[in-house]
Amino acid sequence: MIGLRANVVSAIAGKELRSYLGNPTGYVFLTLFIGTSAAAAFLDDGFFGRNLADLATLNRYIAWILMFFVPAITMSTWSDERRAGTDELLLTLPVRDGEVVLGKYLGALGIYSVGLVFSLANLAVLLYLGEPDMGLIFATYLGYWLMGGLFVAVGMVGSMFTDNATVAFILGALGCAALVFAGAAPWAAGLIGVVAFAGLAALLWLVGTGRARGAGVAGLIGGVLGLGAWLGDVWAGFTEAIASISALAHLAWFGEGIVRLGDIAYFVGGAVIALVLCSLLLNRRHW
Amino acid sequence: MTRTDSPPASDVSIRADHLSKIYGEFVALHDVTFSVRRGTVCAFLGPNGAGKSTTMKILTGYLAPSSGSASLAGYNPSDSEQRLLLAQRLGYLPENGPLYADMTPRELLTFVGQIRGVSAIGAAIERVTSQCAIGQVMAKPIGKLSKGYRQRVGMAQALLHDPEVLILDEPTSGLDPLQIREVRALIRELGREKTILLSTHILQEVEAVADEVVVVREGRVVFTGTVGALRGDKTLEERFYELMEAGGGPGKEAA
Repeated sequence: MIGLRANVVSAIAGKELRSYLGNPTGYVFLTLFIGTSAAAAFLDDGFFGRNLADLATLNRYIAWILMFFVPAITMSTWSDERRAGTDELLLTLPVRDGEVVLGKYLGALGIYSVGLVFSLANLAVLLYLGEPDMGLIFATYLGYWLMGGLFVAVGMVGSMFTDNATVAFILGALGCAALVFAGAAPWAAGLIGVVAFAGLAALLWLVGTGRARGAGVAGLIGGVLGLGAWLGDVWAGFTEAIASISALAHLAWFGEGIVRLGDIAYFVGGAVIALVLCSLLLNRRHW
Repeated sequence: MTRTDSPPASDVSIRADHLSKIYGEFVALHDVTFSVRRGTVCAFLGPNGAGKSTTMKILTGYLAPSSGSASLAGYNPSDSEQRLLLAQRLGYLPENGPLYADMTPRELLTFVGQIRGVSAIGAAIERVTSQCAIGQVMAKPIGKLSKGYRQRVGMAQALLHDPEVLILDEPTSGLDPLQIREVRALIRELGREKTILLSTHILQEVEAVADEVVVVREGRVVFTGTVGALRGDKTLEERFYELMEAGGGPGKEAA
């Protein structure tokens, strides 16, 4: 990320923000997010049963809400550029791939942040009903923001693979779902691990050889190795290792009002890895 | 290919040197070599699928060649850092003029100007607005403009930073006769000061605007030289069909 120019990054981020906020569909998604998060926070029976002015009920659902809401923001980031051919215009301007990726990321993160700010209406309800612990609310929202930041980056990776926004949405949602479900059950962790092995092997092939040809075979070999590690008990800690990438466990601490450096590093580090992956995939036009 | 009158390196603004591009089993470009002198308008002529757009994409640094090299204004477009320097001196109109449909021309030009770091963006926008005659549509979304206006907006973004080299990929594609005449007049005017490489499959376009011509067929260069040399004692159409059928001919044609 060294040598990234602020004027280029801010111009691209601004374009993304204007494009989304200038589109009625963007407001529909924002409204849906605010409505869904409010419903998850207050319509669950547990909220009034607990008699506490906090967002514990929303914490149970937020990952599932973001799993669909964030890919709806990111689905068009690359797919629309490719479909309209504007990627050729953009990438032949004096821009580095990293600047384009970061600019688009900040634009999408900005849109998500706008949605999150509007969802602070939940706080107004809590203030009306009782006396919420503001430190706890801050930590909770910091967790939401960090998780959204990670999901935005993952959703952008999904959008790199296609020029169809619907397919990009599905790929983004699958990527985010992998991070949510990895810790849900050993079988889920195993399946996600196999897919991760396949993807990693294909990526290593692409980066190592600079050729797309053969990447499918490399991915298949990686998948078989992952399957062997999982089912053959070759690597005893396979499912545990995959389960540790689950976002839910890291988010839970924020919901308790505890901000741990390791959890912040998890979300920020995960986003950085996804953005580097975006840069590598953007560079594939040279392969 | 061979060329008997290769200009000295200092006089060359665009050079393609044994460029090849291979997609799997498909050879899109094979050993493409040509050069364009500084301050000339060169037409890159060939039928659809001949490899014109692939060559343009390689010259602008959007794609990397499978082998061979290129140089524009002294920079290698395949080198990531040199490409940034090249992009400051290059104006590019991609095929079909892809533009952000939800932006107005003014927003697009401001965006491009910000990325290019153009000083006095307002003055630069006024200049290209006048040059490309898009003043009437500056506040309308690009998606609602006619094909002709979109093409002019595409030209305006390519000219915003007053580049020394212009690459135009089928700049008159899809335009009506009046619009074609206007765009060709603009290219001729720009060609007095700038080096222009424009791809086309329209023979009249070559005669109307070009000083030199490179003819490609199935990813191979089959002729380089002046328009007059290409024509010889026949019509341009007759000579073009000869080259397309035979892949070569007399004069400065590919070996």
